[in-house]
Amino acid sequence: MKAQYDYTIEPEVIENSPTLAQINDVIAAPMEAPPTKGWKIALAISSTMLLIGAISLGFSFYYGTGLWGNNQPVGWAFPIVNFVFWVGIGHAGTLISAILFLFRQKWRTGIARFAEAMTIFAVMTAGIFPLIHTGRPWLAGYLFPLPNQHGLWVNFTSPLLWDVFAVSTYFTVSLVFWYVGLIPDFAMLRDRTKEKVKKFFYSLLSLGWRHSNRHWNHYEMLYLVLAGFATPLVLSVHTIVSFDFAVSILPGWHTTIFPPYFVAGAVFSGFAMVQNVLIILRKIFKMEHIITIDTLEKMNKVLLATGMMVGYAYGMEFFIAWYSGNPLESFVFVNRAFGNYAWAYWIMVTCNVVIPQLFWIRKLRRNLVVMFIVGVFVNVGMWFERFVITVTSLSRDFLPSSWDYYKPTLTDFGILIGSFGLFFTLVILFIKFAPVVSISEVKGVLKSSQPHHH
Amino acid sequence: MSLETFWKSPTDLKFPLLSKEAKEKEFIDGVTDDFNPNELKGLSRRKFLALTAATLAVSTVACTDYHDKGEIIPYNKKPENVIPGIANYYASTCTGCSNHCGILIKTREGRPIKIDGNPDDPITKGKICAIGQASILNLYDPERYRKPRKRNGTNFSDIKWQEAFNELLSKVKLANNTGSEIAIITPKIESPSQKRLFELFLQKYPTTKIYSYDTMTDYPRRRASELCFLTPEPPVADISKAKVIVALESNFLGNEGNFVKNIAQFTENRNIDNPENFNRLYAIEGIMTITGANADIRIPLNPTKLLDLVLSLISDLLNVKQIANGTVYEKVKNYNLEKFAKENNLETKQLKYLLRDLVENYGKAVVIAGDKMPVDLHIAVNILNDLIGARQENNESILIHDFETLLTPLSTLNDFEELIQKVKSGKISVLINFDTNPAFDLSSMEFESLMRKIPFTATMTDSETETALASNLIFPINHNFESWGDYKVSNNTYTTQQPVIEPLYGTYQKEDILLGILNEKLDKNSYHKFVKETWSTQIFPQSNSGVNFNEFWTSVLHDGVYQLPSSKTSFPKINYDAINSITQQSKSGYTLTLKNSYNTANGKYQNNGWLLELPHPISKITWDNYAVVSERTAHKLGLESNKMIQIKANGKLMEIPIFILPGTVDDHFSIEIGFGRRAAGTIGKEVGFDAFPITTLKQMFEGYLMNLEVIPLPNKEYKLATTVEHHSLNDNFTKDLAKKRHIIQDGILADFIAGKEIVEHTHDAKSIVPEIEYNGVKWAMVIDMNKCVGCNACVVACNVENNIPIIGKDQVQRGREMQWIRIDTYYTGNQDNPEVANQPMLCQHCDHAPCENVCPVVATTHSPDGLNQMVYNRCVGTRYCSNNCPYKVRRFNFYDYRDQFANHYQKADSLALMMNPEVTVRSRGVMEKCTFCIQRISEAKASAIAEGRQVRGTDVKTACQEACPASAIKFGSSNEPDSELYYWRNHKLGYHVLEELNVKPNVTYIARLRNKVETKI
Repeated sequence: MKAQYDYTIEPEVIENSPTLAQINDVIAAPMEAPPTKGWKIALAISSTMLLIGAISLGFSFYYGTGLWGNNQPVGWAFPIVNFVFWVGIGHAGTLISAILFLFRQKWRTGIARFAEAMTIFAVMTAGIFPLIHTGRPWLAGYLFPLPNQHGLWVNFTSPLLWDVFAVSTYFTVSLVFWYVGLIPDFAMLRDRTKEKVKKFFYSLLSLGWRHSNRHWNHYEMLYLVLAGFATPLVLSVHTIVSFDFAVSILPGWHTTIFPPYFVAGAVFSGFAMVQNVLIILRKIFKMEHIITIDTLEKMNKVLLATGMMVGYAYGMEFFIAWYSGNPLESFVFVNRAFGNYAWAYWIMVTCNVVIPQLFWIRKLRRNLVVMFIVGVFVNVGMWFERFVITVTSLSRDFLPSSWDYYKPTLTDFGILIGSFGLFFTLVILFIKFAPVVSISEVKGVLKSSQPHHH
Repeated sequence: MSLETFWKSPTDLKFPLLSKEAKEKEFIDGVTDDFNPNELKGLSRRKFLALTAATLAVSTVACTDYHDKGEIIPYNKKPENVIPGIANYYASTCTGCSNHCGILIKTREGRPIKIDGNPDDPITKGKICAIGQASILNLYDPERYRKPRKRNGTNFSDIKWQEAFNELLSKVKLANNTGSEIAIITPKIESPSQKRLFELFLQKYPTTKIYSYDTMTDYPRRRASELCFLTPEPPVADISKAKVIVALESNFLGNEGNFVKNIAQFTENRNIDNPENFNRLYAIEGIMTITGANADIRIPLNPTKLLDLVLSLISDLLNVKQIANGTVYEKVKNYNLEKFAKENNLETKQLKYLLRDLVENYGKAVVIAGDKMPVDLHIAVNILNDLIGARQENNESILIHDFETLLTPLSTLNDFEELIQKVKSGKISVLINFDTNPAFDLSSMEFESLMRKIPFTATMTDSETETALASNLIFPINHNFESWGDYKVSNNTYTTQQPVIEPLYGTYQKEDILLGILNEKLDKNSYHKFVKETWSTQIFPQSNSGVNFNEFWTSVLHDGVYQLPSSKTSFPKINYDAINSITQQSKSGYTLTLKNSYNTANGKYQNNGWLLELPHPISKITWDNYAVVSERTAHKLGLESNKMIQIKANGKLMEIPIFILPGTVDDHFSIEIGFGRRAAGTIGKEVGFDAFPITTLKQMFEGYLMNLEVIPLPNKEYKLATTVEHHSLNDNFTKDLAKKRHIIQDGILADFIAGKEIVEHTHDAKSIVPEIEYNGVKWAMVIDMNKCVGCNACVVACNVENNIPIIGKDQVQRGREMQWIRIDTYYTGNQDNPEVANQPMLCQHCDHAPCENVCPVVATTHSPDGLNQMVYNRCVGTRYCSNNCPYKVRRFNFYDYRDQFANHYQKADSLALMMNPEVTVRSRGVMEKCTFCIQRISEAKASAIAEGRQVRGTDVKTACQEACPASAIKFGSSNEPDSELYYWRNHKLGYHVLEELNVKPNVTYIARLRNKVETKI
């Protein structure tokens, strides 16, 4: 009989006790080797997807938003769904980087850098959508409170404006946080590299880091402060995004559960995306001992927890829809489950509520294939959740005379594909030119770096 | 000291004279030798500076983006009465259909931009229909013919007017000289001048024969009138005198007869402040129509059974009132209502109530049969009407013979059959189509192939038609608004028509061309003179006006309407023997009725995008026609809506998609005629399905009610463009929501009279934000749902007034229709016989507008006089406002909808002339919505300021309010306690839609009262 799992001894964060030099070698290896065939193929595929998106966007700018499926009453569809989807994905990174840092969870070190990078790329991808989904994107400047001779300010009571501030703040803080964390690593690379061009750029990016105590002192303090800045953003940014919906009067949108529900959902889909990409990454870069199964298992536990929160929110929405006695409210929810978008609703429920339940079983939690598939389904489910929320509530609202069905067009899909293309292109470029694991932090949790007797 | 002692330099001191010389010569010797200003090729310093200044000025001016500079010429000599920016109104007549309603044409800077009714017209009293409103688009149609065209082979080439005219003249003279017929196909002739023209033409060219026809006319009723009253002119009903109206497959409120007049007369007795005098409308029909939708009691019945119903009614009536009438009794003795009800699965009780209403309202009840129903039914109805006192020999009579003779008789079936024979035997050598399109609407006699047998055919038309394309010669003619004319609209009433713009393309009136043939000389102004002559010789002498003719004529033109002092109506006795010509024809199997189209005047306006894009009042389908069918029948055939069927009727085939509509009887189909034109320009291409070919010519005269065979084609689909989701009333989930959500509130008249509460107010919450004070004018609107019949006139009026674009069928299918006001039609109850409610929905200009606080760029704001404003140039198009609007009345320009069709149709220069200059034309990516006609409000404010007073609520009439034939829309200021609007806004029966949201809308709806016999049917 197999021994019972012993939870008294905390498993090593980094397995096989590598030396500091070995850590350097492993993490710097992808940047020092010439681009592999796999990398080139991956970049080609993601660039093609990006190109499809660029072409779709180009047509949309030239001909108009009519190329999409949006209509009256469904004024928001794919572009907003994609926006919320990508902003949501970004939250995993910040949670791992900032919140887990404040909670002193050592297992985050292997994944924090990559997760934070993914946040930035996700927010970049997401940030495109509010600008392009407008009817006149060349006037996007009107959305910013720029002083002008009319004395005209923007409308501060509009959630879309709050989005502008929230997303730009999120992007700025995440970028600064991520960059600050990268400084020691760029310094390490600068010291390692023999090539002149790389040395130039790494020198520039490492801002003259000398590995001195003073530098480390400042670094640790700054990192803590930035983590403190970034932490509330995890909760606030997606709350603001949820206000796009919750502050309106539409039944199905106008509920107070949206902020926590959206935040939980964001973490849920973000973790799924991070976990998916990490599984691939650790294999191709041979970092299985740094990004361990234990780490992945912990991520899956978070996935399960947030998935249950999302499931709870679904249930609670239905309960309140009935309990409130408001016929408009109850209609919306019954319509979601049994109306003309029921197919989307049940995909959402299956993917978000049913499939993650597999993670109760430890063996499945630690199985790479299973967790990868579950992650994919979770992302599909979360995309559909935003779709269901946005489109079904608009499609059948107050006056039955305004009801109409929404059907996406090829351009909509093109832009969606393009967003994935942009995201993955940035990720693929990132793994070639920057360290995917936070070298200094990992070194900090190595057994060999702790004070010990030899 | 003397001057010479001053010095500046040692040289100065030593040699004073030398330096003095030097001072006089400013420059050193030689320096300025080459510089001779006069030799500088004319460019002096002065000139140079002058030129620089000029260049600067010119370039500054040229740098502005004012590309019209140099093209706009201000009036050097201002035309009389034309003030740029102020509109002029001219009285004229609409020629959209044969009702010839009087109109006022609003012109700006010399071009017409809007049509409304002429308030002086005694019949329509200032109202016109949707077709009339939209007809302005045809004036500016970019695809109008501009030059005469002559056929060579399969193509046409432009030729000069004189050449075309000469050819026609020579062909006519030749035909006349050789004794062969000149056939002229005309519409209904209701113009005294046209009549005189044809009379003179016939005198000069005796081999001419006039064939006049009109597909929209009630031929069967006319035939029945001949048999019953010995005159082809049936009596005209004044609905306002009736307390009980029974419509038997008659759409008299929708598109039959002079429905504008009918709507106004009908709604006169639907006044909630006079509930005791409400009329009651029964509609007995096979499919839902506007009339059925507004009926108090509706009984679905296959139209083939209507004859039996009427005979049963007559039989029971004779019995109840103890009337002795042997002739009639013989025919109806075997009929009675109970038997009829049993045979047709109807409630006997309902029919008994109908009978009771007819009996108890002698002289105040009228029965109307549908325009296209068989002659037999009309004969029976004529007899029934006499028995219930609808037609009496006094001024109180509902039915009055108001029209002594049609000016030129309509051709009969016989005439057309002879025409066919004559063509086949070569007796006709010239055919002239006088603005008619028989190749399309007389396809039941295969007119197009007939035309090819005639040696010479000429067509007068303003734009592309099938007939024009099958002719030898095409004459482009003036549009209505470029023409002179006159029309007789009742026994003693005439309307005049005057042009308000020079013919845009140098065309002639069709009458000018005929006059030219008459006088052997084509003259531009000939018909104008001709009309004046008609009036001076025929009408003026009867006028007793006391002024000379010119003054008389000017005043008539000014008013647009003239009523002769005396009116002669007749009262022919009814010929009861006519009842014996009724032959009972029972029809089993599938039946089909063909009906007039609502929006295309039976095909004439199939090139008018505004009309095609109007949602059908019952099905909300745009652009195409379809076969209406009941849900049960469709499912029996294994079909859903949009699937196609093949119809075989009269031995001829056609394919058409079906559409399931509630209120349709089983095994019965209905199709609107006037679609499926093959040549109607860019807009009219591939729109709908032509039902004329499956009819016989006889049916045009005797009614479109026939048997048919149906083959379902479940694999063929035609996606109809509808503006709403359609749900079966058998689907419990989506059923009756309008009632459940209190969007539609209505009640029973009897309950209201008894003092019961009809309207439920669903909102009582207080606002947490301080209320904004409105101290001046606060614009508000009231819509009375007792009066709105759903005719769409307001929708088109708004389109014209506010430059609404036409977006095309595919965009409607996407769900992007752009009309700022829409008529929401809600069905409640059961699928077989639902209750219908019509609700015009437009921007509610909410005090707490949910759209205003969610716009990120402050593009929608609230004005101090209560309007929700839309700032087009600030809008970036996030569409959040549209999402947050609970009424979904905002419209987004997903594309540049002014460039939606092939050949940049909507960007044509001529259409730019049509735009209302007071309303911005919106670009791509901008949100728009109803503005409560802010341009009219601004105009009223400007007038008020000029007059030194405050603007009043009554100063402004919105376009929709002006257009409504039922006067259902009221507009004004809610801060004027003594105004009509204030009264209606605070009426007991008034409510707001979605009150519980506390958005405080400013459109009040008056709950509809249904005059039911008992509380539940």
